Amino acid sequence: MKELLIILFSAILVDNFVLSRFLGICPFLGVSKNVKTAMGMSAAVIVVMVIASALTWPVQNFILYPRNLGYLQTGVFIVIIASLVQIIETFLRKSIPALYRALGIYLPLITTNCAVLGVTILNVDSQYSFVESIMHAAGAGLGFMLALFLFSGVRTKVDRADVPKFMKGLPITLVSAGLVSISFFGFKGLIEKLFG
Amino acid sequence: MIGIAMIQASSILTPVLIASAIALLLGIVIVIVSRVFAVPVDTRLEDIKAILPGANCGACGFTGCEGYAQSMADGDTNTGKCPVGGAEVASELSRYLGVATPSFIPKVAHVHCQGTVDHTKKRYEYRGTMSCNAAQNLFSGPNSCTYGCMGYGDCAVACPYDAIYMANGIAHVDSSKCTACGICVKTCPKYLIEIVPKHSNAYSVKCKNKWPGAQTRKNCTIGCIGCQKCFKTCQYGAITMDGPLAIIDHDKCTHCGECELVCPTGAIVNGLMLGQDDKGQPRTTGTPRKAALKQEA
Repeated sequence: MKELLIILFSAILVDNFVLSRFLGICPFLGVSKNVKTAMGMSAAVIVVMVIASALTWPVQNFILYPRNLGYLQTGVFIVIIASLVQIIETFLRKSIPALYRALGIYLPLITTNCAVLGVTILNVDSQYSFVESIMHAAGAGLGFMLALFLFSGVRTKVDRADVPKFMKGLPITLVSAGLVSISFFGFKGLIEKLFG
Repeated sequence: MIGIAMIQASSILTPVLIASAIALLLGIVIVIVSRVFAVPVDTRLEDIKAILPGANCGACGFTGCEGYAQSMADGDTNTGKCPVGGAEVASELSRYLGVATPSFIPKVAHVHCQGTVDHTKKRYEYRGTMSCNAAQNLFSGPNSCTYGCMGYGDCAVACPYDAIYMANGIAHVDSSKCTACGICVKTCPKYLIEIVPKHSNAYSVKCKNKWPGAQTRKNCTIGCIGCQKCFKTCQYGAITMDGPLAIIDHDKCTHCGECELVCPTGAIVNGLMLGQDDKGQPRTTGTPRKAALKQEA
């Protein structure tokens, strides 16, 4: 149980996927303008990450590894993630049309989002068990949601500030993202101290 | 030779078969899901969207033009909800859907404040971001009347039709350009802007101040002090008192102008605002009755 909590909290805070591992920057910058869309996107990412981990872990450990087909990992994982996102998109379009329209282009972008592929590959590389993989994926998604939520607040303030013309738009956003990322470095050593 | 070829074949064949099987299985699942969760696309939706102006302002009450188009495609027969499109769009929509054209009352945005720099004072010197929404966070803005317009122009920036301008420290809506899309209503942190029927001699209480009369008078010389003279004068019951603030009901108002005559502070004015004149002063369609009667006398 303690190990699971360690995995969860380190994925959310210490090794935050966006701010420490620098994965998933594209939706992070693209969707963080509006808090409601950001929350919707994060929810979709959490769902995709958890289900993708749940599907890819058995495939890796029961199909690929036993037959020494580890080199197929990238291709097979991408196919699984892409199909999963397609299914979720179809489902959303019928069930929650408002969220589907709000996310727009960013939903299919989760497919090529390195954060989702990153979670699945890291699960395998860290040799997590099935439950540990799910926890890791949940933590990664929650960390993504936290980063998005924090950054949308930062962006609202940056929008109101007097930014020099040459820094307006993407430059100041990237600088702000970097500064927020530095602040997350303060969490290093937290997990060891908390959980002994 | 054949042996080596056979070993190589099986070490290639197996992964190919496995990867293909996974892909095929997922493909089948996708097809099934897309059948089960299919969304029927209404062809009329695109046509209706083309008729609408496409400003996506939300004044119709739906989430943008797509929302309104969807509701009409679903059977809503009220085609008069778009103030930006006006009567033209309403009649074209009615023709397309085959429903009766609704009677259309044009609307316009109106700023309910006359607290210019001549009528109000500043309580402190504000040096923050020059935005109404930002200044509002600092003790409700630097004006002596905290209900009044601060004049930093958030509404003017938000207006997609350039219909709002600043003059003498407060906002004015140029009714010839305003389409009543409602974006300025949501932008103003003091809720001073309202959408009213577009009558060229409409009477309105241009004040939203709810302080007692003495306090209002101290902080703004043209605000409504709640003396109730207009309330008692109006024979048509168009004026109601919301505490110490008079409110005119535009549906009941007959534009007789008696309220404007008795108002001691000048909070009631008539007419719609137009654009600026050469000196940058706001023009209005109305003629203040008080001044007109004084001239006659």
